[in-house]
This record gives sequence, structure tokens and C-alpha cells, in this order.
Amino acid sequence: MDNEQIILEVDRVWKKYCRNLRRAMWYGVLDIASQLRSSRPSVPPKDMLRPGEFFAVKDATFSMVPGECIGLIGPNGAGKSSLLKMITGLIRPDAGQIRISGRVGALIELGTGFNLQLSGRENIFINGTVLGLKKPEIARAFDGIVEFAELGAVIDDPIKTYSSGMRMRLGFSVAAHLRPQLLILDEVLAVGDVRFRMKCFQHFNNLIQQGTSIVLVTHAVGMLPRVATRTIVCEAGRIVYDGEVQKGLTIYEQGLVEQANRGGATADQHWTNARILSAVTVDEAGYEKVEFESGDDIRLRIELECETEVREARLIAAVSSPGAETIGSMATPFQEFYFDLQPGRLVLELTLKKIPLLLGAYYFDVSLYGASLTDFCHRRTGIGGFRIVAPAIDINGNGISGLIRFEHSWRTVSP
Amino acid sequence: MNGQPPKIVYHAKPDLASPGRLLREIYRDLLFNGRELAWRLFVRNLRGMYRQTVLGMFWIFLPPLANTAIWVFLRSRGVFDFSLTGPNGSTEVDATLYILTGMIIWQGFVEALQMPLNAVSSNRGMLSRLNFPREALILEGLMDLFFNLAIRCLLLIPAFIYFSGSLQWGILAAIPVIGLMMLFAVGCGLILVPFGTLYHDVPRLLSIGMPFWMIVTPVIYYLPNVRPTNLLNWLNPASPLLVASRDLMLFGATEHVAAGLTYGLVAIPVFVLGLLVFRVSIPALVERMVVS
Repeated sequence: MDNEQIILEVDRVWKKYCRNLRRAMWYGVLDIASQLRSSRPSVPPKDMLRPGEFFAVKDATFSMVPGECIGLIGPNGAGKSSLLKMITGLIRPDAGQIRISGRVGALIELGTGFNLQLSGRENIFINGTVLGLKKPEIARAFDGIVEFAELGAVIDDPIKTYSSGMRMRLGFSVAAHLRPQLLILDEVLAVGDVRFRMKCFQHFNNLIQQGTSIVLVTHAVGMLPRVATRTIVCEAGRIVYDGEVQKGLTIYEQGLVEQANRGGATADQHWTNARILSAVTVDEAGYEKVEFESGDDIRLRIELECETEVREARLIAAVSSPGAETIGSMATPFQEFYFDLQPGRLVLELTLKKIPLLLGAYYFDVSLYGASLTDFCHRRTGIGGFRIVAPAIDINGNGISGLIRFEHSWRTVSP
Repeated sequence: MNGQPPKIVYHAKPDLASPGRLLREIYRDLLFNGRELAWRLFVRNLRGMYRQTVLGMFWIFLPPLANTAIWVFLRSRGVFDFSLTGPNGSTEVDATLYILTGMIIWQGFVEALQMPLNAVSSNRGMLSRLNFPREALILEGLMDLFFNLAIRCLLLIPAFIYFSGSLQWGILAAIPVIGLMMLFAVGCGLILVPFGTLYHDVPRLLSIGMPFWMIVTPVIYYLPNVRPTNLLNWLNPASPLLVASRDLMLFGATEHVAAGLTYGLVAIPVFVLGLLVFRVSIPALVERMVVS
């Protein structure tokens, strides 16, 4: 990457926090006191933690050039917001450096600085100034802001008479008319109705084409392919992936699956007579494999362990995704597959032929029963996680998207 | 928006590693970058604050008027008494005018001391979500303070004409002294911002302590410049500039020149120190706003 072109460079950045409020207050006094000194000994990040502290961001490094839109994604507590707050200069890194070349516009929360007693017109000027625009800039953009927010008829009414959707539109519209070189957006794309959201995407795409760089944090990852040109996935404070959008999304979903696994592990501990030891997806040769393409055969190898004989056992396997829960479920009796469990171990293999799933991360919930559903043995949730990594999806009206790839054809017929 | 794009670097090094640059940035943000925002916030607050009240801007006058009424009533009932003779026994002023003047200046001092903490506390949402020149909040607070003080001082004009028959030129001489007193109080308030934002005991202690502080400050009584009573002027930082400015307004001269000058000269460095502490502490405070 050409150094001259870099608009944002995050260089080995660390950030620590303390969850204990009393300690956090005291550490605050100490931190301020240390900022008031003219110099401070350099301490390696790993030795910085005081009792009760943890790293919210660990050794984050990335850079971006004009016209890029990075989707910064990760589960809650992954460090996205801390990273964003450091980039916007709201808080300081504890180690490392952030360099920005250009004007930064940040939209962490819509409508910050609104006064409900005042009119929409007055609030546009206040909000614009809060966001860093000068009076002539706001005056020039005023008509565009009102038109974009679709509030022309009520712009002189106090905004306490506006609905929450109208306030959001107004806040977004002011921010959308900032002309920064780097725009930071934190969870603000869930604004208004679908039509207004599409309008926002269009606006962002225009900004990107004009060379604005955007860092976008959102949990609504389904919309990312509309605007993002790159994805950064954070987990537990670390950047675990930086690259192509769709692969980033599957890795993010995989992280959610693993998080769900950890959550379900306690409930999965109870079993009677027999239990499910493991379930992994494998290739034709029987080697573990987690990345597939849509249309591949997927084999799930399930290992069972039996303590007391179970006659006419049945297995139910459900394919799920973090976003859509259960997609499809299949039980052994459906294909008249019956088996008995004798003390010892048994391995079963389930083959899903020509898997019709599209890009994303998926997992299995597997349940083991005896002859009837009242003879419960064991249930494991969130196991056998796998990713579909191709083909690419398209949500701009040129390809396929969603969860399922339907076999389909088009033709014209006479009316 | 035009010209070279600004270069911004955020790092962990202490701000005071280059104090000259820090002071220049504070100066720029206070007087240039934050000016427009401060003005808008000031106008917003002014328009919004009294919009849903019956008495409107009369609320600016009410606290000193009510306090004055209480103390004048107590004095008329003989609860306390004191001489209202000015420097060198020259002039005698009406008790109502004396107490009203003291109350107005004291009210300004109290509001100035509490302003920085209030500014941070009432703008927590903005501080934790937007990066704007933080000093704009202080500038806006100063605008509020001086606006309120000016409005209250207007009250003094009819009061002076009614009670003493004329206006003293000393009123004009008192303006810079009051200005320095306000800067001193704002500076002290700024130094309190880190502790007061982290530990909510500080603003509570301040509001409990203010009535006691007023008692040991010569707001409603005259302080002769003789030992040991004048020591109060040296030990109580609220006193010398308040006494000097009121003396100038009422008598056209003051006996407390030394203490007044000393604290007047200290006011500007205290204000600058306060701005430094405020600037340096905000990121650490915003971090804790996130935690809490």
C-alpha cells in the first residue's frame, strides 16, 4: 500500500479497561495524574494490566486507503467500539498509535445534541455544528438535508412532536451530508424503514465513489455486502480476519457458532444411558473439513458412546445458522434407518447431498433418543460447525443471495 | 475543508510531553475551533431553558433577589447587625443595596465554580460520542455565566438609583475585578473536573458546603481591613475579589487592594492550569463514562 495514500493507519494498538467501577475510578485518577507528567516510562503492553483490568483491544493493526469501506464486525465485547472510539479520538490508546490524514466525521449515535424544544430547522444548525460543520456549510447543505430526511412539511415544528423515526432520519440526514475524508459509523444503519435504508446505502456508495473512506460497525451483517469493500473481524479484542467481505462474514458467523457452543456446553452435560461424544464434518476420505461450496456433499461424522444398551435408538440432526436458527432437521426413522446401541462406541455418518446452502456459517444440533421421544439420552447443540465459502452472493440485484440456493430457471411464456 | 488534509495522531504519550503545543491547541480550540459550537450551544440552551416556564428569564434574577429578601428581613428583625460604613468611614450605604450587590457577585462566583463540573455532567452523551473541541463547553459555560451576571447587574441600576440616588463610576472599575473572580472560580472548577466527574461526592460536597462558605465570606457583612479579621480575606479565596469588586461598586474604592491584586494576578494562571487539567483528563473520563 502506498504510504502517501493511507488515510487511516492503526498501528499495534492496545486498550485496557477495568470492569470494577471503584477500581476504574481510582485508576482514572492515576491515569490523569500520569498524563499530567511530562514523561512516562515505556512499559510493554503485556505488563500494563493492573488488578481487575483486561485488554479490550489487543495489538490491532490495519490501514485503509481512500474509497475503501471496512465493515468492522464481531460479537459483543470483541473490542469494535473501543477501537472505533480510539479512531475518533474519544479515548486514548494505552499502547500503539493511530494516524489519520484527513477530516474525520463520526456518527456514533444519531441526533446527539438535539434539543427537543427547538424546531427541526434550529436543530439542523446545532447538530451540524456539533458534528463539525461551519455555518455557511450547513446553510449550503440545508435544503439537501431537509429533502433527504423527507421532513420539509414539519421542519419548523419542535422536534418533540416528531416520531422517533423522524428524529432518526433528521440526525442521519445531517450526518450524511458531512463531507469527511473518513467517516466512522457505529450501529446507525438500522435507521427508518427499508426504503429510507436503501437511500442511505445509495448515499454511502456515492460517498465511496467520491473517495470517502468509511469504517462501519454493525451487527446487521446482512447489509454489509451492499457497501463494504473489506471486512475486519474482531474476537476477544483481536483482529482475527482482515480481507474479503463474504469470507469475513462466514468467519464472523463461525465465531457466533463457537460462542453458542460455549453457552450450550453446560446444558449438554446431562445424559442417560448413551451420549453424543462428537460430531465433525469430513471430506470423502474421512478427514475433518469445515469449508465447503454450495452444491458439495457434506458428511457429518457422529461418535456415540453407550453405557447401557439402548434398543431402536434414533438420532435427530438439525442444520442451523446463527441468523436463522433451525434451517432443516432430519431424523433416522425418516429413512427407516434403525440401530441399537451396545455398551461401547459407535460412529454414524450423515450425508447431506448437494447442500443448497449459500455463504455463511452453519452448525448442527444433534439429539439422541431411544425407541420413543420420551426415552431421551442426550442432546448436543452447536456442534459440527462448517462454512459455505462459495459462490459469491450478490444483493445488488445481479445474482443470488439469502440462505438457500434454489435450483431454478427462467423463461418467457405467452400471456 | 480545503487545502492539505489535517494530520491527526492519537497515541499513549503524556500530553505534557510537549506543553507548548498543548497550550497552543487549547488556545486554538477555546477561541477559534470551538467558538461557533459554543455560541450555538449557548443560544440553544438559552432558547430551550426558559421555553417551558411561566416566569421565563425572571428565573435568572430570582435566586439573588430571594436571598437578599431573606437577609434584609433577618436584619430588619435584629437577628444580626453590622456597620455598613465604607472605607475610612466615608460613605454609608443602604443594607438592601449592600446585600443585593454582594449576593449577585456571590451567585456569580458559585455558578462559576460549579460550571465546569455541570458542563461535563450535562454533556456526557456528547462527550462520549463525538469528538468536538472540548473547550467549547467551557466557552459556552463562560458565555452563560457572563450573560447571567450581566442580566443580574442590570437589576443593580434601578437599585442604585433608588437606594443611593446615583450610579458610582466604580461600577465600571469593578467589571475587570469581577471578571478575574469568575476566571479564578472557573479555573478552580476546572481543576475539580477529574475528581468531581469520577467521584460524585465532590459535587455533593460542593453543594452542601456552599452555604457555609457564604457565611465565612463577607457577602452580607462588611469586613474591616484590620487584623485578625482581614486574614479571612487571605485565607478564603472567594473573599478578596468579591469584597474588592463590591467596594468599588458601592464606595468607588477598596481597602483590600493587596489581597485583591494578589488573587487577581493568580486568577489567570489558575484558569490556564484548569484548562490544562480539563483537556488532559477528558479522554480518561470519557473512558469511565463508557464503563459506568
